[in-house]
Amino acid sequence: MLNKTGVPTAEDVLTVTPSEERLKKGPVAIIECFQEIPCNPCTEACKQGAIQPMEDINNLPQLDYDQCNGCGVCLSRCPGLAIFIVDASYSETEAIVRIPFEYVPVPRVGESVVGLNRAGEELGTFVVNKVQSGGQKNKTYTIWLVVPKALAMDVRSIRLGGLRHAN
Amino acid sequence: MQTKETIVCRCEDITLDEIKSLISQGYRTIDEIKRVIRAGMGPCQGRTCRMLIAQELAKVCGIPVGEVLMPTFRAPVKPVKLGTFAGGE
Amino acid sequence: MPKVKEIEVLIIGGGPAGLSAAAAAAELGASVLVFERDDKTGGQLVKQTHKFFGSKKQYAGDRGYQIGNLLIDQCMSNPKVEVWTDTTALGIYEDGVVTAEGQGKHLKIKPERIIVATGASEKMIAFPNNDLPGIYGAGAVQTLMNVHGIVPGQRVLMIGAGNIGLIVSYQMMQAGVEVVAIIEAAPTIGGYLVHASKIRRAGVPILTSHTITEAYGQDSVEGAIICQLDEKWQPIPGSEQDLKVDVICLAVGLSPLTELCFQADCEMKFVPELSGHVPLRNKYLETTRPGLYVAGDVSGVEEASSAMVEGRLAGVCAAFSLGYGNDVAPKLQADALAELSELRAGPAGQKTVNGIKKLMDKGGAAC
Repeated sequence: MLNKTGVPTAEDVLTVTPSEERLKKGPVAIIECFQEIPCNPCTEACKQGAIQPMEDINNLPQLDYDQCNGCGVCLSRCPGLAIFIVDASYSETEAIVRIPFEYVPVPRVGESVVGLNRAGEELGTFVVNKVQSGGQKNKTYTIWLVVPKALAMDVRSIRLGGLRHAN
Repeated sequence: MQTKETIVCRCEDITLDEIKSLISQGYRTIDEIKRVIRAGMGPCQGRTCRMLIAQELAKVCGIPVGEVLMPTFRAPVKPVKLGTFAGGE
Repeated sequence: MPKVKEIEVLIIGGGPAGLSAAAAAAELGASVLVFERDDKTGGQLVKQTHKFFGSKKQYAGDRGYQIGNLLIDQCMSNPKVEVWTDTTALGIYEDGVVTAEGQGKHLKIKPERIIVATGASEKMIAFPNNDLPGIYGAGAVQTLMNVHGIVPGQRVLMIGAGNIGLIVSYQMMQAGVEVVAIIEAAPTIGGYLVHASKIRRAGVPILTSHTITEAYGQDSVEGAIICQLDEKWQPIPGSEQDLKVDVICLAVGLSPLTELCFQADCEMKFVPELSGHVPLRNKYLETTRPGLYVAGDVSGVEEASSAMVEGRLAGVCAAFSLGYGNDVAPKLQADALAELSELRAGPAGQKTVNGIKKLMDKGGAAC
C-alpha cells in the first residue's frame, strides 16, 4: 500500500501507464501522482495542452497521452518530483527514462549509475546520456538514463553518490 | 549512562517518573505540578512539557487530553531579565 | 514615564502568515508594525528548500526560501510597514497595551488592531534517554543545516512521517546524511505521498505502525530501539529492532503557539484536528477579543500556503475594520476565503475543515 510504505503499487502505476502503442511512438510523461493534494503547477507547465486544467485544485492530474510530446517541462516543475518521461522509441532494445534529480553530486554524461526502482531496490547499472539543469531558479536537474526496454516503467531513481555514502 | 531517564521538562530536568509520582500523590492539575516541581517554569515556559504532563493527567483521570485544565498564562509569556524591566523604556 | 508607541496594526510574528498580513494591511493604507523574535523575518520559510504545492496564487513551484524572500521584499518595499526584529511580544493587556522585549529593552505599544501570527512549536515525545545529545527536533535540524550549514551527524533515525519528517529527511539526504529509516506510529504516512515516494525510491525505508522504545549511548546517541505497533497502538513483542544511529530526529507534530491568546483572554478550545488549543475565531479570523486576529499555525497547524492566505485575510480584515480599502476589501476578503476553501477542499484538507467546524461549533466545551 502506497500510504503505508511510500511505494506505489503495480495497480497504481498501471493507472498512469500509457498503452504499448503510445509508448512505442516516443517520449511521454508518466505522472505518478496518486493522492489528491492541492497542487496544480503541472497543468500550467504543459504548453501542449496535454495536462488538462483542474476543476478543483485537489484533482489528480489528467494527461492526454496523444497530446503529450514528452517535452519534460512538467517534470522539472512538479513540486512532488512525481513526473518522469519514458521514451521507448530510443532503440531496438533500450529506452530512455528521464528522472528529476535534486542531490549532489549531479552525475555526468557518460557516467554509469546504479538505477533503483520505486522501492529503492537496485535494478542494474545504466549510462547517463544527458543531464539538463533546471536553471538558477528551478534548480531541479533532469537525468536521462539509458535502460533496457523492459525496465522503462521500473527505473525511477539512482543511487546517491557522494563520499559520505561510501562504507 | 547510569539510569534510563525519560525527560518531560527539558528546561528544569524533570522526568516522567517524577511527574507520575506527583500524580499518584494526588496532584491533579498542571498548575499544581508546576508549583511543586517547577515543570514549565524554565526558558520555554512549558512549551515542551505542558502537553506531555496533560497526557499523563488525562490517562490517570480517564478523560480526553483536551479536558485537562490548562495552567494560567501570564505576561510576560517568556522569561525576561529584571534588568530589562528596570532599565526599560 | 516610558513612551508608548502607537500604531494601527501590530503583527506578532514575521513568518509566512505575519508577513502576508503586513503586506495586505499596508497595501490598503494601514500603518503596520511587525514584531519578529528572530534577527530576520521569513519564519520557517527561509529554511524550506523544497518546491511548494498549491497554485500560482500561493507561489506554487517556487521553493520555500524563495517565497520567503519574496514576502520579505514585499514588506520591505512598503513604507507603511515597519519591522522590529529581535523583538518578542510579552503580553497583551486589558487596556490594549502590548509589551515586548526588543534588543534588551522593555517596549510598550498601543495598537488599534493586533494580528497574532506566532506560528507553532514542535511537540516532544517521552521515551527513555530522550535527553541524550544527538536527539533533535526537526526544526533544529533545519536550522542547523539550512541556516548554519552544519549537518547534525552521519546516520539518522527520523521519527514521524508527516510532511515535516519527510521534508527534513529529504533535506538531510540532499546534504549527504544517511537516513536509516523513517518511523511513524500511525498506520499510514501522514505527509504528502509524493514526498514519501521520492524518499522511498532513494532507498530509505518508511516504517508505519512503528515507534521508538528507547535511545541509548554513553555520552551521546549511539542507537535506538524501535518496535512495531499493533492495531491498538500496543508494541508487538519480539518486533524490536536495534538501529545504530548517531542522530534521532523528532518530527512528531506541532502545537499552535497560543500563550499570548490565552493570556489575552481569548476564548480557547482544544481541537485535535488543529493540533491543540486554538482561539475561537470567526471566519474573518477575529478572536473573541475584539480587534485581535489570528493567522497561520497559531489558529490551527496547516501548510504554509494556507498560512499565507490566512495572513492576507487577517491583514485585509484588520485594515478594513479601521476604515481602509472600503472599495476593494470585501472582494479581497472573498478571494482569500475562496482560496482557503479551495486549498482545503480535497481529502488532505479534510482534517482542517473538520477542525474548524468543531472550533466554530457553538456549545462545545471551551476552556
